[in-house]
Amino acid sequence: MTNWPKSYPLALLIALMALLPVGVLFSLAQDSAQFFDTHNLRVLGNTLALMTLTIIGSVLIGVPLALFTAYVQMPFKRFWLIVLAAPLALPSYIGAFAMYFSFGRGGEIENVLGVSTPPISGLWGSALVMSLYTYPFVMMTTRSSLLSLDASLVNAARTLGLSLGASLWRVVLPRVVNSIAAGALLAALYALSDFGTPAIMGLDTFTRVIFVEYNAFGLSQAAMLSLQLMVIVGLILFIESRISGATERPGRHLSLFPAPWQRNLMLFATMPIVFMSIVLPLAIFTLWLVREGTGGFELSYAWNSAHASFIAAIVAVLLAIPVAHAAIAGKAGRLMERITYFGFGVPGIVMGTALVYVGLQLPAFYQTLSLLVMAYVLRFIPLAVGSVRTTAENIDSGLVKAARVLGASPREAFIRITLPLTLRGMIAGAALVFLEAMRELPATLMLGPTGFETLATYMWRVYEAGYFGRAAVPGLLLVLLSGVGLILMLSGERKAQFTVTEDKGS
Amino acid sequence: MLRVSDLSVNYGDTRVVDKLNLALGQDEILMLVGPTGCGKTTILQALAGLIPISEGEISLGNWASTPKKPIPPEKRNVGMVFQDFALFPHLTVQQNVCFRLKDTQLADHWLSLLGLESFRDAKPARLSGGQKQRVALARTLAHEPAFVLLDEPLSNLDAALKDSLRWEIRDALKKADVPAIWVTHDQEEALSVGDRVGILNKGVLEQLDTPEACYSTPASRFVARFMGEASFLQASYDNNSASNPNNTVITDIGNVPGTPLHHAHGDVDLLVRPDDLSLNGAHPSPNGTVEWVRYEGESRLYAVTLDNGSHLKVRVSHENAIKPGERAHVQLVTTHPLAVFPK
Amino acid sequence: MQRRTFLQGLAAATALGGLPLGVASALSPMASVSVESLPKLEGDLTLYLGRGEGGLYENVLQAIEKRNPKLNLKIRRGGSAALANTIVAEKKAGVKRADLFWAVDTGSIGMVTDAGAAKPLPTDLTTQLKEGFQYPSWSPVTGRVRTLPYNTQRVSPEQIPDSVMALADSDLKLGWAPAYSSFQSFVTAMRLLEGEKATRAWLKGVNRNAKKYAGELGVVMGVERGEVDVGFANHYYTLRLKSGKPDANVALAYTKNDAGCLVNASGIVALSDGDLPVNFIRYLLTHEVQSYLAREAYEIPLVQDVAQPEGLASLSTLTPPAMDLRNLADLRPTLNLMRDVGVL
Repeated sequence: MTNWPKSYPLALLIALMALLPVGVLFSLAQDSAQFFDTHNLRVLGNTLALMTLTIIGSVLIGVPLALFTAYVQMPFKRFWLIVLAAPLALPSYIGAFAMYFSFGRGGEIENVLGVSTPPISGLWGSALVMSLYTYPFVMMTTRSSLLSLDASLVNAARTLGLSLGASLWRVVLPRVVNSIAAGALLAALYALSDFGTPAIMGLDTFTRVIFVEYNAFGLSQAAMLSLQLMVIVGLILFIESRISGATERPGRHLSLFPAPWQRNLMLFATMPIVFMSIVLPLAIFTLWLVREGTGGFELSYAWNSAHASFIAAIVAVLLAIPVAHAAIAGKAGRLMERITYFGFGVPGIVMGTALVYVGLQLPAFYQTLSLLVMAYVLRFIPLAVGSVRTTAENIDSGLVKAARVLGASPREAFIRITLPLTLRGMIAGAALVFLEAMRELPATLMLGPTGFETLATYMWRVYEAGYFGRAAVPGLLLVLLSGVGLILMLSGERKAQFTVTEDKGS
Repeated sequence: MLRVSDLSVNYGDTRVVDKLNLALGQDEILMLVGPTGCGKTTILQALAGLIPISEGEISLGNWASTPKKPIPPEKRNVGMVFQDFALFPHLTVQQNVCFRLKDTQLADHWLSLLGLESFRDAKPARLSGGQKQRVALARTLAHEPAFVLLDEPLSNLDAALKDSLRWEIRDALKKADVPAIWVTHDQEEALSVGDRVGILNKGVLEQLDTPEACYSTPASRFVARFMGEASFLQASYDNNSASNPNNTVITDIGNVPGTPLHHAHGDVDLLVRPDDLSLNGAHPSPNGTVEWVRYEGESRLYAVTLDNGSHLKVRVSHENAIKPGERAHVQLVTTHPLAVFPK
Repeated sequence: MQRRTFLQGLAAATALGGLPLGVASALSPMASVSVESLPKLEGDLTLYLGRGEGGLYENVLQAIEKRNPKLNLKIRRGGSAALANTIVAEKKAGVKRADLFWAVDTGSIGMVTDAGAAKPLPTDLTTQLKEGFQYPSWSPVTGRVRTLPYNTQRVSPEQIPDSVMALADSDLKLGWAPAYSSFQSFVTAMRLLEGEKATRAWLKGVNRNAKKYAGELGVVMGVERGEVDVGFANHYYTLRLKSGKPDANVALAYTKNDAGCLVNASGIVALSDGDLPVNFIRYLLTHEVQSYLAREAYEIPLVQDVAQPEGLASLSTLTPPAMDLRNLADLRPTLNLMRDVGVL
């Protein structure tokens, strides 16, 4: 109809905004002293090691759980799914906090139970924590792919003589490799950009060192290291873009009905994961809460977290709409969408560094809530874009045509048909952005207005001061608010599958 | 009066519709038929303004759309009924039908006429296929279109439903007094519902005529085969009206008056339909062998190979049962003129 | 040795060591001031606070706020060095945000004064401080001594060397917090006193068997738990821990005459003109605030008439090195060195 989809200009603007931090980093790094030395090499090694171990860990945990939650029929299936996806609701540094102070000599487990445990710290500690909190990505992406596979192929393999296990290994898993990879790459991105976990575990990764450099030397050195980190991130994003999910004609998926004892055994096997990632942190924080009370905590911290994240979520979804529609409209649009993904790959600490510089150049924005919201938006807009896009793609194109033919202008058709039908996707996207912004730490530390304390920054403050018992209240509140966001996101995802597509065949 | 002149549509480099010409009367229903991929849906989308055209003009009343000055769909006042209903899932039936209406009177009229009163507040997901299609029709007609396009409206429904809904839609269109173009791939539907039929072959309109004319005097063998079972019988025909005043066509199995097409003369092919012939298994001098039989409930369809080589299909009443491989006698029994094609 | 107050001893060392003091030092210090005599604070003040010191500084700030309801105090917290960098960067960009900067040690203060961001303080304020602690453009608030907290169950006092340099070669398990600004000032002092080469060797040696903590409270707690034998920390962390847990397994040891027993001070600079920032600083030098910090935070008061904190070794026994605190502002080479060795 029109030559240039109307969403393009706006989407282009947003894509350019996403490149802003990288540009800033480049200009900052010009002033920097060193480029690369042995210290950098060690940091690089640590970072890559953490990333690799996280990928391995998240896949080892996520894939079996995906098979379990997709194919095994059992009572309360939805409940188990939520429980196993729940680590998404906890920021990894809460887990790091809990595990660091629980295990090891003088840790809480030893204090309370008298059992001595090995300490969790360093590379292996960080890898364990990251795996426990990123496996849900692998689990969810793999699971949705497994659900779309037709069972008849497995049935065919079994009639040809393969055992169930062998069929799963040879017939099912090869077809979901792309989804596993997509989830694993997401886990890798998280490992690269996480700040709190390596800091608490005492592992010198890029994010930790950037923070130290920023504190010690100022912006230029931090910018130089940030750019080096961005190279790795860019590589990951590139690999991710090359992976496209193969689409098969959906048929009825495989359903397994194991005997009750087998089912219980499998559930039992998942318990250590649930215990470490969810039960332990909650228990430790509750213990601290009971022991130390709520001293020093102000409810305004929670309000700050919530309302900054809320604003960021709304802005992100609004900006995501033109980008998502541009991505559906054509090749140039898809490119613009890819560019916005860059923001997601920029670790919070790097985003903070770049935007502090921007703030100094534009004093009206310096140390304001707007700059912080902008950091959140630039970092998390891809989450909203992805959600809106998949929902918009699923809308029957005939609906918009029908509206046009009934006399609606393109604008009216968009507002009355497309927007309401993508509402689920928008809500899910907003919830996702809200969840991520709530737990964001490094950028908030650097960019927040003076006196603006969020749940995350307060937790960091008490950790640095050594009064980690006081982390209990903000920690538990963070978990609670994240849990709400997670439920919103999951419910939006499920409903989107039912109501948006036209009911064919009834 | 809807007028289409020299309409051509390209998809990339492929010409999908080639120089289409047609004009619709005030309340005429035109059936567009053709095999898959012949361009029927493309024509509808072009007429609705949903895709751009490469050549030609579409005009109705006070607007005329050309490639250089296209008129957008919302300005054409065209109504469209889609194959997959295209009902807005987040709105109720009432809201769907009244989508852009300020005054609900017309909507109420169509809702009651199509028996949808009790579904006003339901969402589309709760309706059956037939009910959905009726809602789609009510929605289209309530907006008072200047002409209606129907894109295979019944192909997603069960066979039993098709028949009754077919007539309901036709009645509604006539009552609404609007011209309509109805695309279908079902020959039976094309023959029974439309005022005129247009047969499309690879983007070209091979014939545009009444159903009877298309069936009995098809413009080409393609049309002939498309309109129903067609067999071609060797025959001879003298087109000189002086020597052959009754236009008789002579065949091995009988004579019959003929309507010559494309100046057929001499050795020709006679178009015979299965019910133009008779089959007698007990005849003393059989002239053909039965290849196979298909039981059709009320009738049986036989494929017979004549001794002279022609392959024919014969339809007889179900009481007549002859087994494959048996010999039988085929006779031309019709007395109305049949189409004659040059070889 | 005659019993002298610790700071009178410092004044003597000053005369010997030639500590360059501002003009105001010629005046003898006044008696400490009471909060009752101070004007009420009204208006907006932005304070950049280097590390909240575990809540005790927060109590002081809260008390000041309570007493001055019309004061709108906004606090930005962070590491002292980070905030100093921020102030310098803001000044460079012509952006003004902070009115006051309260840092845990002088290194960061020095960065700010060197950049020319500090406003001069009136003499009636600077003369409230003890001799040797009067500077024209910044005000020390409380003093701190570098110490070696040790685990009493694992280590005996004799095992701890008198010289901090010897710790690099000992078998004792050490704990430190290299990112902490007081520690970095300590290393700067070592650099200035012993030279870069020796400092580098020392850092390398200690790094081999030292456990890293986020802050020095963490170091002391680690010592107490027995994770490490000896740590490096400001004196007050150990004293605070012991006040909460009198039977804790930790005690203080001091080195002699080297950077290991450096005396440093937390300091505050005014970054804006006007009376409001200066009057705020006056609050920190009042008898009440200084007593509170001495009693509860175990920091060393720097105005007259305030008692020394309990539990600190008899001050006449301490032998800090002679050092101009402002030299500790030379932080950058220290950080480069630490980074180079792989400690930071």
